[in-house]
Amino acid sequence: MVKPRIYLKTCLQTAHLYHRYAPGREVLTDLNLAVPEGSIYGFVGPNGAGKTTTLRLLLGLLRRQQGAISLFGRDLDSDRIEILRKIGSLIEGPSLYEHLTATENLRVTQMIYRSPRQRLAEVLELVGLSAAREKLVSEFSLGMKQRLAIGVAILHRPALLILDEPTNGLDPNGIVDMRRLLKQLNQEHGTTILVSSHLLSEVERLATHLGIVHHGRLLFQGTLDELRRRRSERTQAWVSTSDDEAALKLIRQLQPLPEAVRIDDGRIRLASWTRGELAVLNRRLVNEGFDVYELGSQAGSLETIFMEMVAPDAIAGDVRSLSAK
Amino acid sequence: MQSLEMFVRCLQSEWIKQKRSLGSWLTIVGALFTPGIVLVARLLHYRTLPTLYAADDFWQSMWRSSWESMAVFFAPMAAILATSLVAQIEYRNNAWKQVCALPLSSATLYFGKLLVVLALIAQFFIFFDVSVYISAVIPCLLRLAPYPHAPLPLHAFLTDTVQYAIATLPIVCAEYLLSIQFKNFLVPVGVGFLAWVAALASLSWKYGYLIPYAYSIMTYLQSYPKQALPVPALPLRWLVSAYTMGFCITGYVLFVRKRVRG
Repeated sequence: MVKPRIYLKTCLQTAHLYHRYAPGREVLTDLNLAVPEGSIYGFVGPNGAGKTTTLRLLLGLLRRQQGAISLFGRDLDSDRIEILRKIGSLIEGPSLYEHLTATENLRVTQMIYRSPRQRLAEVLELVGLSAAREKLVSEFSLGMKQRLAIGVAILHRPALLILDEPTNGLDPNGIVDMRRLLKQLNQEHGTTILVSSHLLSEVERLATHLGIVHHGRLLFQGTLDELRRRRSERTQAWVSTSDDEAALKLIRQLQPLPEAVRIDDGRIRLASWTRGELAVLNRRLVNEGFDVYELGSQAGSLETIFMEMVAPDAIAGDVRSLSAK
Repeated sequence: MQSLEMFVRCLQSEWIKQKRSLGSWLTIVGALFTPGIVLVARLLHYRTLPTLYAADDFWQSMWRSSWESMAVFFAPMAAILATSLVAQIEYRNNAWKQVCALPLSSATLYFGKLLVVLALIAQFFIFFDVSVYISAVIPCLLRLAPYPHAPLPLHAFLTDTVQYAIATLPIVCAEYLLSIQFKNFLVPVGVGFLAWVAALASLSWKYGYLIPYAYSIMTYLQSYPKQALPVPALPLRWLVSAYTMGFCITGYVLFVRKRVRG
Protein backbone atom coordinates (compact mmCIF):
# COMPACT_ATOMS: atom_id res chain seq x y z
CA MET A 1 0.00 0.00 0.00
CA VAL A 2 1.30 3.44 -0.91
CA LYS A 3 1.71 5.85 1.98
CA PRO A 4 0.71 9.50 1.59
CA ARG A 5 3.59 11.46 0.07
CA ILE A 6 4.37 15.01 0.91
CA TYR A 7 5.49 17.39 -1.82
CA LEU A 8 6.62 20.92 -1.27
CA LYS A 9 3.73 22.17 -3.35
CA THR A 10 0.88 19.80 -3.78
CA CYS A 11 -2.00 20.92 -5.92
CA LEU A 12 -4.29 18.06 -5.03
CA GLN A 13 -4.19 15.62 -2.19
CA THR A 14 -6.45 12.89 -0.94
CA ALA A 15 -5.97 11.22 2.42
CA HIS A 16 -7.33 7.79 3.24
CA LEU A 17 -10.12 8.05 0.71
CA TYR A 18 -12.62 5.22 0.78
CA HIS A 19 -15.76 4.83 -1.29
CA ARG A 20 -18.33 2.12 -1.78
CA TYR A 21 -21.47 2.03 -3.91
CA ALA A 22 -23.00 -0.78 -1.87
CA PRO A 23 -22.16 -2.34 1.50
CA GLY A 24 -19.17 -4.63 1.15
CA ARG A 25 -18.34 -3.39 -2.34
CA GLU A 26 -15.37 -1.09 -1.84
CA VAL A 27 -14.55 0.90 -4.94
CA LEU A 28 -11.75 2.90 -3.34
CA THR A 29 -9.63 1.73 -0.44
CA ASP A 30 -7.32 4.08 1.44
CA LEU A 31 -6.46 6.12 -1.63
CA ASN A 32 -3.73 8.68 -0.99
CA LEU A 33 -3.15 10.74 -4.08
CA ALA A 34 -0.67 13.59 -4.22
CA VAL A 35 -0.58 15.59 -7.43
CA PRO A 36 2.33 18.06 -7.46
CA GLU A 37 1.71 21.54 -8.75
CA GLY A 38 2.76 21.98 -12.38
CA SER A 39 2.85 18.26 -13.08
CA ILE A 40 1.05 16.13 -15.60
CA TYR A 41 -0.18 13.33 -13.40
CA GLY A 42 -1.18 10.16 -15.18
CA PHE A 43 -3.79 8.27 -13.20
CA VAL A 44 -3.62 4.80 -14.66
CA GLY A 45 -5.53 1.63 -14.01
CA PRO A 46 -7.61 -0.99 -15.78
CA ASN A 47 -11.30 -0.42 -16.41
CA GLY A 48 -13.20 -0.54 -13.14
CA ALA A 49 -10.12 0.27 -11.05
CA GLY A 50 -11.80 3.30 -9.49
CA LYS A 51 -10.37 6.10 -11.63
CA THR A 52 -13.62 7.77 -12.58
CA THR A 53 -15.00 7.38 -9.06
CA THR A 54 -11.91 9.17 -7.75
CA LEU A 55 -12.22 11.99 -10.27
CA ARG A 56 -15.93 12.37 -9.51
CA LEU A 57 -15.14 12.61 -5.81
CA LEU A 58 -12.52 15.27 -6.53
CA LEU A 59 -15.13 17.38 -8.31
CA GLY A 60 -17.82 16.83 -5.70
CA LEU A 61 -19.99 14.89 -8.15
CA LEU A 62 -20.10 12.04 -5.66
CA ARG A 63 -20.67 12.56 -1.99
CA ARG A 64 -17.50 11.75 -0.06
CA GLN A 65 -17.97 8.90 2.41
CA GLN A 66 -14.62 8.64 4.17
CA GLY A 67 -11.26 10.37 3.93
CA ALA A 68 -10.24 13.90 3.05
CA ILE A 69 -9.77 15.77 -0.20
CA SER A 70 -7.87 19.01 -0.46
CA LEU A 71 -7.13 21.09 -3.52
CA PHE A 72 -4.89 24.15 -3.57
CA GLY A 73 -4.44 23.64 0.15
CA ARG A 74 -8.16 23.97 0.84
CA ASP A 75 -10.68 21.43 1.99
CA LEU A 76 -13.11 20.45 -0.76
CA ASP A 77 -16.12 20.29 1.54
CA SER A 78 -15.72 23.74 3.03
CA ASP A 79 -14.40 25.63 -0.03
CA ARG A 80 -16.00 23.72 -2.88
CA ILE A 81 -17.08 26.71 -4.96
CA GLU A 82 -13.77 28.56 -4.59
CA ILE A 83 -11.91 25.39 -5.54
CA LEU A 84 -14.12 24.66 -8.56
CA ARG A 85 -13.39 28.15 -9.89
CA LYS A 86 -9.80 27.01 -10.49
CA ILE A 87 -10.64 23.66 -12.06
CA GLY A 88 -11.52 22.63 -15.57
CA SER A 89 -12.80 19.13 -16.13
CA LEU A 90 -13.82 16.56 -18.66
CA ILE A 91 -15.37 13.46 -17.10
CA GLU A 92 -16.51 10.40 -19.06
CA GLY A 93 -16.74 11.94 -22.49
CA PRO A 94 -17.73 15.38 -23.73
CA SER A 95 -20.65 17.20 -22.13
CA LEU A 96 -21.74 19.49 -24.94
CA TYR A 97 -25.09 20.88 -26.02
CA GLU A 98 -25.60 19.40 -29.44
CA HIS A 99 -28.25 21.94 -30.53
CA LEU A 100 -25.77 24.78 -29.99
CA THR A 101 -22.76 25.83 -32.04
CA ALA A 102 -19.18 25.51 -30.81
CA THR A 103 -19.11 29.21 -29.90
CA GLU A 104 -22.45 28.99 -28.07
CA ASN A 105 -21.20 26.01 -26.08
CA LEU A 106 -18.22 28.06 -24.97
CA ARG A 107 -20.52 31.00 -24.18
CA VAL A 108 -22.51 28.81 -21.76
CA THR A 109 -19.35 28.41 -19.69
CA GLN A 110 -18.01 31.89 -20.38
CA MET A 111 -21.12 33.37 -18.76
CA ILE A 112 -20.34 31.59 -15.50
CA TYR A 113 -16.64 32.45 -15.35
CA ARG A 114 -17.00 35.90 -16.96
CA SER A 115 -14.02 35.17 -19.18
CA PRO A 116 -13.26 37.91 -21.72
CA ARG A 117 -15.15 37.57 -25.01
CA GLN A 118 -11.93 37.34 -27.06
CA ARG A 119 -11.02 34.23 -25.07
CA LEU A 120 -13.61 32.27 -27.10
CA ALA A 121 -11.69 32.79 -30.33
CA GLU A 122 -8.38 32.05 -28.58
CA VAL A 123 -9.66 28.76 -27.24
CA LEU A 124 -11.20 27.71 -30.54
CA GLU A 125 -7.86 28.44 -32.19
CA LEU A 126 -6.01 26.48 -29.51
CA VAL A 127 -8.15 23.38 -29.98
CA GLY A 128 -8.15 23.74 -33.76
CA LEU A 129 -11.83 24.46 -34.19
CA SER A 130 -11.79 28.04 -35.47
CA ALA A 131 -13.22 26.98 -38.83
CA ALA A 132 -16.09 25.15 -37.14
CA ARG A 133 -17.01 27.85 -34.64
CA GLU A 134 -20.50 28.42 -36.05
CA LYS A 135 -21.19 24.75 -36.76
CA LEU A 136 -23.73 22.89 -34.64
CA VAL A 137 -22.06 20.41 -32.30
CA SER A 138 -24.47 17.70 -33.49
CA GLU A 139 -22.53 17.82 -36.78
CA PHE A 140 -19.16 17.33 -35.07
CA SER A 141 -17.10 14.14 -35.16
CA LEU A 142 -16.16 12.55 -31.83
CA GLY A 143 -12.66 13.97 -32.11
CA MET A 144 -14.01 17.49 -32.64
CA LYS A 145 -16.37 17.09 -29.69
CA GLN A 146 -13.52 15.91 -27.52
CA ARG A 147 -11.40 18.92 -28.52
CA LEU A 148 -14.28 21.31 -27.91
CA ALA A 149 -14.88 19.74 -24.51
CA ILE A 150 -11.22 20.41 -23.70
CA GLY A 151 -11.78 23.95 -24.93
CA VAL A 152 -14.71 24.35 -22.53
CA ALA A 153 -12.55 22.99 -19.71
CA ILE A 154 -9.66 25.41 -20.33
CA LEU A 155 -11.75 28.48 -21.18
CA HIS A 156 -11.26 30.13 -17.80
CA ARG A 157 -7.54 29.27 -17.64
CA PRO A 158 -7.89 26.76 -14.80
CA ALA A 159 -4.94 26.03 -12.56
CA LEU A 160 -5.90 22.35 -12.54
CA LEU A 161 -7.32 20.35 -15.41
CA ILE A 162 -8.98 17.03 -14.58
CA LEU A 163 -9.44 14.83 -17.63
CA ASP A 164 -10.98 11.38 -17.61
CA GLU A 165 -9.71 9.30 -20.53
CA PRO A 166 -9.58 12.29 -22.90
CA THR A 167 -8.27 10.26 -25.82
CA ASN A 168 -11.11 7.73 -25.78
CA GLY A 169 -12.49 7.32 -29.26
CA LEU A 170 -9.86 9.48 -30.92
CA ASP A 171 -7.96 8.36 -34.01
CA PRO A 172 -4.13 8.26 -33.86
CA ASN A 173 -3.84 11.81 -35.21
CA GLY A 174 -6.36 13.02 -32.67
CA ILE A 175 -4.41 11.34 -29.87
CA VAL A 176 -1.17 13.01 -30.98
CA ASP A 177 -2.93 16.40 -31.22
CA MET A 178 -4.47 15.96 -27.78
CA ARG A 179 -1.10 15.05 -26.28
CA ARG A 180 0.51 18.08 -27.89
CA LEU A 181 -2.25 20.36 -26.60
CA LEU A 182 -1.98 19.07 -23.04
CA LYS A 183 1.81 19.44 -23.05
CA GLN A 184 1.44 22.96 -24.37
CA LEU A 185 -1.03 23.87 -21.63
CA ASN A 186 1.29 22.43 -19.02
CA GLN A 187 4.51 23.96 -20.29
CA GLU A 188 3.29 27.34 -21.50
CA HIS A 189 0.55 28.07 -18.99
CA GLY A 190 1.73 26.03 -16.03
CA THR A 191 -1.56 24.15 -15.84
CA THR A 192 -1.44 21.12 -13.57
CA ILE A 193 -3.09 18.23 -15.37
CA LEU A 194 -4.57 15.11 -13.85
CA VAL A 195 -5.33 12.72 -16.67
CA SER A 196 -6.74 9.24 -16.28
CA SER A 197 -6.23 6.39 -18.69
CA HIS A 198 -6.36 2.64 -18.79
CA LEU A 199 -3.32 2.59 -21.07
CA LEU A 200 0.06 3.17 -19.50
CA SER A 201 1.66 3.41 -22.94
CA GLU A 202 -0.60 6.38 -23.66
CA VAL A 203 0.16 8.19 -20.43
CA GLU A 204 3.93 7.55 -20.30
CA ARG A 205 4.40 9.79 -23.35
CA LEU A 206 2.68 12.62 -21.59
CA ALA A 207 2.92 12.39 -17.83
CA THR A 208 5.65 13.54 -15.49
CA HIS A 209 4.08 11.70 -12.55
CA LEU A 210 2.10 8.52 -12.30
CA GLY A 211 -0.40 6.94 -10.00
CA ILE A 212 -1.28 3.32 -10.70
CA VAL A 213 -4.58 2.20 -9.24
CA HIS A 214 -6.12 -1.24 -9.19
CA HIS A 215 -9.20 -2.50 -7.35
CA GLY A 216 -9.40 0.93 -5.74
CA ARG A 217 -5.90 0.75 -4.25
CA LEU A 218 -2.98 2.90 -5.24
CA LEU A 219 -0.19 0.49 -6.18
CA PHE A 220 2.40 3.01 -7.27
CA GLN A 221 2.79 6.74 -7.06
CA GLY A 222 5.79 8.70 -8.15
CA THR A 223 7.60 10.19 -11.07
CA LEU A 224 7.94 8.49 -14.38
CA ASP A 225 11.69 8.23 -13.69
CA GLU A 226 10.99 6.28 -10.52
CA LEU A 227 8.92 3.82 -12.51
CA ARG A 228 11.62 3.61 -15.16
CA ARG A 229 14.20 2.82 -12.47
CA ARG A 230 11.97 0.02 -11.35
CA ARG A 231 11.93 -1.20 -14.94
CA SER A 232 15.73 -1.27 -15.19
CA GLU A 233 15.90 -3.42 -12.07
CA ARG A 234 13.82 -6.11 -13.69
CA THR A 235 14.85 -7.70 -16.95
CA GLN A 236 13.30 -10.19 -19.27
CA ALA A 237 16.03 -12.65 -20.27
CA TRP A 238 16.35 -15.74 -22.41
CA VAL A 239 18.90 -18.46 -22.93
CA SER A 240 19.37 -21.05 -25.63
CA THR A 241 21.58 -24.08 -25.05
CA SER A 242 22.64 -27.37 -26.66
CA ASP A 243 20.04 -29.19 -24.48
CA ASP A 244 17.26 -26.90 -23.36
CA GLU A 245 15.26 -29.60 -21.57
CA ALA A 246 18.20 -30.52 -19.32
CA ALA A 247 19.12 -26.85 -18.89
CA LEU A 248 15.58 -26.11 -17.77
CA LYS A 249 15.83 -28.79 -15.08
CA LEU A 250 19.14 -27.36 -13.94
CA ILE A 251 17.76 -23.84 -13.83
CA ARG A 252 14.84 -24.99 -11.70
CA GLN A 253 17.27 -26.53 -9.22
CA LEU A 254 19.13 -23.27 -8.81
CA GLN A 255 18.23 -21.51 -5.62
CA PRO A 256 17.29 -18.77 -4.92
CA LEU A 257 17.01 -17.98 -8.61
CA PRO A 258 13.46 -17.31 -9.73
CA GLU A 259 11.32 -19.45 -11.92
CA ALA A 260 12.47 -20.13 -15.48
CA VAL A 261 10.20 -20.76 -18.38
CA ARG A 262 10.53 -22.73 -21.57
CA ILE A 263 8.90 -20.88 -24.41
CA ASP A 264 7.61 -21.93 -27.82
CA ASP A 265 10.44 -20.78 -30.00
CA GLY A 266 12.90 -23.17 -28.37
CA ARG A 267 14.49 -20.68 -26.03
CA ILE A 268 14.25 -20.65 -22.24
CA ARG A 269 12.66 -17.50 -21.05
CA LEU A 270 13.74 -16.13 -17.68
CA ALA A 271 11.41 -13.71 -16.01
CA SER A 272 12.63 -10.86 -13.80
CA TRP A 273 16.31 -11.80 -13.51
CA THR A 274 18.98 -9.33 -12.59
CA ARG A 275 22.19 -9.07 -14.60
CA GLY A 276 24.20 -10.65 -11.76
CA GLU A 277 21.86 -13.62 -11.62
CA LEU A 278 22.23 -14.11 -15.35
CA ALA A 279 26.04 -14.14 -15.04
CA VAL A 280 25.83 -16.83 -12.33
CA LEU A 281 23.51 -18.86 -14.53
CA ASN A 282 25.81 -18.62 -17.51
CA ARG A 283 28.82 -19.78 -15.49
CA ARG A 284 26.85 -22.70 -14.08
CA LEU A 285 25.58 -23.82 -17.46
CA VAL A 286 29.03 -23.76 -18.96
CA ASN A 287 30.50 -25.59 -15.94
CA GLU A 288 27.82 -28.26 -16.33
CA GLY A 289 28.87 -28.81 -19.95
CA PHE A 290 26.12 -27.03 -21.76
CA ASP A 291 26.91 -25.10 -24.92
CA VAL A 292 25.29 -21.70 -24.45
CA TYR A 293 24.26 -20.48 -27.92
CA GLU A 294 22.46 -17.39 -26.85
CA LEU A 295 22.01 -15.44 -23.62
CA GLY A 296 20.21 -12.12 -23.81
CA SER A 297 18.25 -9.71 -21.70
CA GLN A 298 15.99 -6.76 -22.18
CA ALA A 299 14.60 -4.31 -19.68
CA GLY A 300 10.90 -4.91 -19.06
CA SER A 301 8.56 -2.38 -20.65
CA LEU A 302 6.52 -0.06 -18.45
CA GLU A 303 3.51 -1.95 -19.71
CA THR A 304 4.98 -5.19 -18.31
CA ILE A 305 5.59 -3.55 -14.95
CA PHE A 306 2.07 -2.18 -15.02
CA MET A 307 0.68 -5.62 -15.81
CA GLU A 308 2.76 -7.16 -13.03
CA MET A 309 1.24 -4.64 -10.66
CA VAL A 310 -2.37 -4.88 -11.71
CA ALA A 311 -2.57 -8.52 -12.78
CA PRO A 312 0.22 -10.51 -11.11
CA ASP A 313 -1.99 -13.59 -10.97
CA ALA A 314 -2.65 -13.44 -14.68
CA ILE A 315 1.04 -13.08 -15.42
CA ALA A 316 1.93 -15.94 -13.07
CA GLY A 317 -0.74 -18.04 -14.74
CA ASP A 318 0.68 -17.13 -18.09
CA VAL A 319 4.15 -18.13 -16.88
CA ARG A 320 2.87 -21.43 -15.49
CA SER A 321 1.07 -22.31 -18.69
CA LEU A 322 4.15 -21.54 -20.72
CA SER A 323 6.23 -23.58 -18.35
CA ALA A 324 3.91 -26.55 -18.76
CA LYS A 325 4.34 -26.59 -22.55
CA MET B 1 -24.12 40.39 -3.51
CA GLN B 2 -21.71 37.89 -5.02
CA SER B 3 -24.39 35.21 -4.81
CA LEU B 4 -26.79 37.44 -6.71
CA GLU B 5 -24.17 38.07 -9.37
CA MET B 6 -23.56 34.32 -9.72
CA PHE B 7 -27.31 33.74 -9.97
CA VAL B 8 -27.57 36.26 -12.80
CA ARG B 9 -24.61 34.63 -14.57
CA CYS B 10 -26.28 31.26 -14.16
CA LEU B 11 -29.51 32.62 -15.66
CA GLN B 12 -27.66 34.02 -18.67
CA SER B 13 -25.88 30.73 -19.15
CA GLU B 14 -29.11 28.73 -18.85
CA TRP B 15 -30.87 31.04 -21.29
CA ILE B 16 -28.24 30.38 -23.97
CA LYS B 17 -29.01 26.67 -23.67
CA GLN B 18 -32.62 27.33 -24.65
CA LYS B 19 -31.61 28.66 -28.04
CA ARG B 20 -32.98 26.35 -30.77
CA SER B 21 -34.07 23.91 -28.07
CA LEU B 22 -37.22 21.85 -28.43
CA GLY B 23 -38.64 23.42 -25.28
CA SER B 24 -38.41 26.95 -26.66
CA TRP B 25 -39.88 25.92 -30.02
CA LEU B 26 -42.72 24.21 -28.20
CA THR B 27 -43.68 27.37 -26.33
CA ILE B 28 -43.87 29.27 -29.63
CA VAL B 29 -45.77 26.63 -31.61
CA GLY B 30 -48.08 25.84 -28.67
CA ALA B 31 -48.90 29.52 -28.18
CA LEU B 32 -49.70 30.07 -31.84
CA PHE B 33 -51.73 26.91 -32.35
CA THR B 34 -55.19 27.86 -31.00
CA PRO B 35 -55.23 31.43 -32.38
CA GLY B 36 -54.05 29.97 -35.70
CA ILE B 37 -56.93 27.48 -35.76
CA VAL B 38 -59.42 30.21 -34.82
CA LEU B 39 -58.06 32.40 -37.61
CA VAL B 40 -58.31 29.65 -40.22
CA ALA B 41 -61.88 28.85 -39.14
CA ARG B 42 -62.83 32.52 -39.46
CA LEU B 43 -61.25 32.88 -42.85
CA LEU B 44 -63.14 29.81 -44.03
CA HIS B 45 -66.41 31.37 -42.80
CA TYR B 46 -65.53 34.91 -43.83
CA ARG B 47 -69.15 35.79 -44.74
CA THR B 48 -70.13 35.72 -41.05
CA LEU B 49 -67.26 37.97 -39.98
CA PRO B 50 -68.87 41.43 -40.36
CA THR B 51 -71.67 40.46 -37.95
CA LEU B 52 -69.24 38.82 -35.56
CA TYR B 53 -66.88 41.80 -35.48
CA ALA B 54 -69.72 44.26 -34.97
CA ALA B 55 -70.84 42.56 -31.74
CA ASP B 56 -70.41 44.51 -28.49
CA ASP B 57 -68.82 41.51 -26.78
CA PHE B 58 -66.52 40.66 -29.68
CA TRP B 59 -63.33 40.69 -27.61
CA GLN B 60 -64.82 38.73 -24.71
CA SER B 61 -66.16 36.06 -27.01
CA MET B 62 -62.86 35.87 -28.91
CA TRP B 63 -60.98 35.63 -25.61
CA ARG B 64 -63.25 32.92 -24.24
CA SER B 65 -63.08 30.73 -27.33
CA SER B 66 -59.29 31.07 -27.48
CA TRP B 67 -58.80 30.25 -23.81
CA GLU B 68 -61.06 27.21 -23.79
CA SER B 69 -58.54 24.86 -25.39
CA MET B 70 -55.64 26.78 -23.91
CA ALA B 71 -56.71 26.46 -20.27
CA VAL B 72 -57.92 22.89 -20.58
CA PHE B 73 -55.25 21.40 -22.82
CA PHE B 74 -52.42 23.59 -24.12
CA ALA B 75 -51.40 25.35 -20.90
CA PRO B 76 -51.06 22.13 -18.83
CA MET B 77 -49.37 20.35 -21.74
CA ALA B 78 -46.96 23.24 -22.31
CA ALA B 79 -46.10 23.25 -18.62
CA ILE B 80 -45.50 19.48 -18.65
CA LEU B 81 -43.52 19.33 -21.88
CA ALA B 82 -41.54 22.58 -21.67
CA THR B 83 -40.42 21.84 -18.11
CA SER B 84 -39.44 18.27 -18.92
CA LEU B 85 -37.60 19.33 -22.06
CA VAL B 86 -35.60 22.02 -20.29
CA ALA B 87 -34.31 19.57 -17.68
CA GLN B 88 -33.87 16.93 -20.37
CA ILE B 89 -31.32 19.12 -22.15
CA GLU B 90 -28.76 18.18 -19.48
CA TYR B 91 -29.57 14.47 -19.51
CA ARG B 92 -29.69 14.22 -23.31
CA ASN B 93 -26.32 15.91 -23.66
CA ASN B 94 -24.79 14.06 -20.71
CA ALA B 95 -24.09 17.47 -19.23
CA TRP B 96 -25.26 17.26 -15.61
CA LYS B 97 -21.76 16.30 -14.51
CA GLN B 98 -20.37 19.41 -16.17
CA VAL B 99 -23.09 21.63 -14.74
CA CYS B 100 -22.55 20.28 -11.23
CA ALA B 101 -18.79 20.84 -11.52
CA LEU B 102 -19.33 24.58 -12.11
CA PRO B 103 -18.50 26.91 -9.24
CA LEU B 104 -22.16 27.45 -8.39
CA SER B 105 -24.14 26.58 -5.29
CA SER B 106 -26.88 23.96 -5.47
CA ALA B 107 -29.47 26.68 -4.88
CA THR B 108 -28.15 28.72 -7.81
CA LEU B 109 -28.19 25.70 -10.09
CA TYR B 110 -31.65 24.56 -9.06
CA PHE B 111 -33.46 27.87 -8.94
CA GLY B 112 -31.58 29.30 -11.93
CA LYS B 113 -32.88 26.56 -14.17
CA LEU B 114 -36.34 26.77 -12.62
CA LEU B 115 -36.46 30.49 -13.33
CA VAL B 116 -35.60 29.83 -16.97
CA VAL B 117 -38.47 27.34 -17.16
CA LEU B 118 -40.78 29.97 -15.68
CA ALA B 119 -39.51 32.52 -18.21
CA LEU B 120 -40.35 30.10 -21.01
CA ILE B 121 -43.84 29.57 -19.60
CA ALA B 122 -44.28 33.36 -19.31
CA GLN B 123 -43.11 33.69 -22.90
CA PHE B 124 -45.67 31.07 -23.88
CA PHE B 125 -48.55 33.07 -22.36
CA ILE B 126 -47.30 36.37 -23.80
CA PHE B 127 -47.00 34.85 -27.28
CA PHE B 128 -50.49 33.44 -26.87
CA ASP B 129 -52.01 36.82 -25.92
CA VAL B 130 -50.26 38.57 -28.77
CA SER B 131 -51.29 35.91 -31.28
CA VAL B 132 -54.92 36.07 -30.09
CA TYR B 133 -54.91 39.79 -30.85
CA ILE B 134 -53.16 39.30 -34.21
CA SER B 135 -55.59 36.55 -35.21
CA ALA B 136 -58.43 38.98 -34.49
CA VAL B 137 -56.85 41.78 -36.51
CA ILE B 138 -55.79 39.83 -39.61
CA PRO B 139 -59.35 39.60 -41.07
CA CYS B 140 -59.59 43.38 -40.67
CA LEU B 141 -56.29 43.87 -42.50
CA LEU B 142 -57.61 41.59 -45.25
CA ARG B 143 -60.72 43.79 -45.37
CA LEU B 144 -62.98 40.84 -44.58
CA ALA B 145 -64.35 42.55 -41.46
CA PRO B 146 -64.31 45.98 -39.85
CA TYR B 147 -62.06 46.60 -36.84
CA PRO B 148 -64.21 45.85 -33.74
CA HIS B 149 -65.78 48.99 -32.33
CA ALA B 150 -65.85 47.49 -28.83
CA PRO B 151 -62.87 48.68 -26.75
CA LEU B 152 -60.15 46.12 -26.11
CA PRO B 153 -60.37 45.13 -22.39
CA LEU B 154 -56.61 44.95 -22.07
CA HIS B 155 -56.46 45.12 -18.28
CA ALA B 156 -58.98 42.30 -17.86
CA PHE B 157 -57.12 40.18 -20.38
CA LEU B 158 -53.78 40.70 -18.66
CA THR B 159 -55.31 39.88 -15.28
CA ASP B 160 -56.78 36.67 -16.71
CA THR B 161 -53.43 35.74 -18.26
CA VAL B 162 -51.61 36.20 -14.96
CA GLN B 163 -54.22 34.06 -13.21
CA TYR B 164 -53.84 31.25 -15.73
CA ALA B 165 -50.05 31.47 -15.54
CA ILE B 166 -50.16 31.23 -11.75
CA ALA B 167 -52.55 28.29 -11.99
CA THR B 168 -49.96 26.33 -13.98
CA LEU B 169 -47.20 26.87 -11.38
CA PRO B 170 -47.93 23.68 -9.41
CA ILE B 171 -47.62 21.71 -12.66
CA VAL B 172 -44.32 23.41 -13.51
CA CYS B 173 -42.84 22.75 -10.07
CA ALA B 174 -44.05 19.15 -9.93
CA GLU B 175 -42.70 18.45 -13.42
CA TYR B 176 -39.41 20.16 -12.59
CA LEU B 177 -39.00 17.99 -9.52
CA LEU B 178 -39.60 14.84 -11.59
CA SER B 179 -37.48 15.95 -14.54
CA ILE B 180 -34.45 16.63 -12.36
CA GLN B 181 -34.83 13.36 -10.48
CA PHE B 182 -35.43 11.01 -13.39
CA LYS B 183 -33.17 10.64 -16.40
CA ASN B 184 -35.91 8.99 -18.41
CA PHE B 185 -37.97 11.66 -20.15
CA LEU B 186 -41.03 9.40 -20.10
CA VAL B 187 -41.32 9.62 -16.31
CA PRO B 188 -42.20 13.34 -16.01
CA VAL B 189 -44.20 13.33 -19.24
CA GLY B 190 -46.08 10.14 -18.35
CA VAL B 191 -46.83 11.23 -14.80
CA GLY B 192 -47.86 14.66 -16.07
CA PHE B 193 -50.19 13.26 -18.68
CA LEU B 194 -51.81 10.82 -16.25
CA ALA B 195 -52.23 13.55 -13.65
CA TRP B 196 -53.85 15.79 -16.26
CA VAL B 197 -56.28 13.01 -17.26
CA ALA B 198 -57.02 12.44 -13.57
CA ALA B 199 -57.65 16.16 -13.13
CA LEU B 200 -60.08 16.20 -16.06
CA ALA B 201 -61.89 13.11 -14.81
CA SER B 202 -62.18 14.50 -11.28
CA LEU B 203 -63.54 17.94 -12.08
CA SER B 204 -67.02 17.14 -10.83
CA TRP B 205 -65.72 15.14 -7.85
CA LYS B 206 -65.99 17.06 -4.59
CA TYR B 207 -62.26 16.57 -3.88
CA GLY B 208 -61.17 17.18 -7.47
CA TYR B 209 -59.68 20.50 -6.39
CA LEU B 210 -56.93 18.59 -4.56
CA ILE B 211 -55.34 17.52 -7.85
CA PRO B 212 -52.68 20.15 -8.63
CA TYR B 213 -52.90 19.65 -12.39
CA ALA B 214 -56.53 20.86 -12.41
CA TYR B 215 -56.08 24.52 -11.56
CA SER B 216 -55.83 26.09 -15.00
CA ILE B 217 -58.95 24.15 -16.04
CA MET B 218 -60.74 25.18 -12.85
CA THR B 219 -59.68 28.80 -13.30
CA TYR B 220 -61.29 28.77 -16.73
CA LEU B 221 -64.47 27.02 -15.60
CA GLN B 222 -64.87 29.26 -12.56
CA SER B 223 -64.84 32.30 -14.83
CA TYR B 224 -68.02 31.09 -16.43
CA PRO B 225 -70.66 30.46 -13.75
CA LYS B 226 -72.85 28.33 -15.99
CA GLN B 227 -70.16 25.60 -15.72
CA ALA B 228 -71.11 24.26 -12.29
CA LEU B 229 -68.16 22.91 -10.30
CA PRO B 230 -68.01 21.68 -6.71
CA VAL B 231 -66.82 24.57 -4.54
CA PRO B 232 -63.29 23.93 -3.21
CA ALA B 233 -62.93 23.86 0.58
CA LEU B 234 -60.04 26.31 0.22
CA PRO B 235 -59.52 29.19 -2.17
CA LEU B 236 -57.72 28.06 -5.33
CA ARG B 237 -54.92 30.58 -4.85
CA TRP B 238 -54.07 29.04 -1.46
CA LEU B 239 -53.94 25.57 -2.96
CA VAL B 240 -51.85 26.82 -5.86
CA SER B 241 -49.41 28.52 -3.47
CA ALA B 242 -49.19 25.50 -1.18
CA TYR B 243 -48.54 23.02 -3.99
CA THR B 244 -46.08 25.35 -5.72
CA MET B 245 -44.06 25.86 -2.55
CA GLY B 246 -44.32 22.19 -1.59
CA PHE B 247 -43.08 20.86 -4.94
CA CYS B 248 -40.44 23.53 -5.22
CA ILE B 249 -38.92 22.92 -1.79
CA THR B 250 -39.19 19.12 -2.05
CA GLY B 251 -37.49 19.23 -5.44
CA TYR B 252 -34.67 21.35 -4.07
CA VAL B 253 -34.12 19.10 -1.05
CA LEU B 254 -34.01 16.02 -3.29
CA PHE B 255 -31.60 17.78 -5.64
CA VAL B 256 -29.24 18.74 -2.81
CA ARG B 257 -29.38 15.27 -1.28
CA LYS B 258 -28.56 13.46 -4.52
CA ARG B 259 -25.63 11.16 -3.85
CA VAL B 260 -24.54 10.99 -7.46
CA ARG B 261 -24.63 14.08 -9.65
CA GLY B 262 -24.34 13.84 -13.37
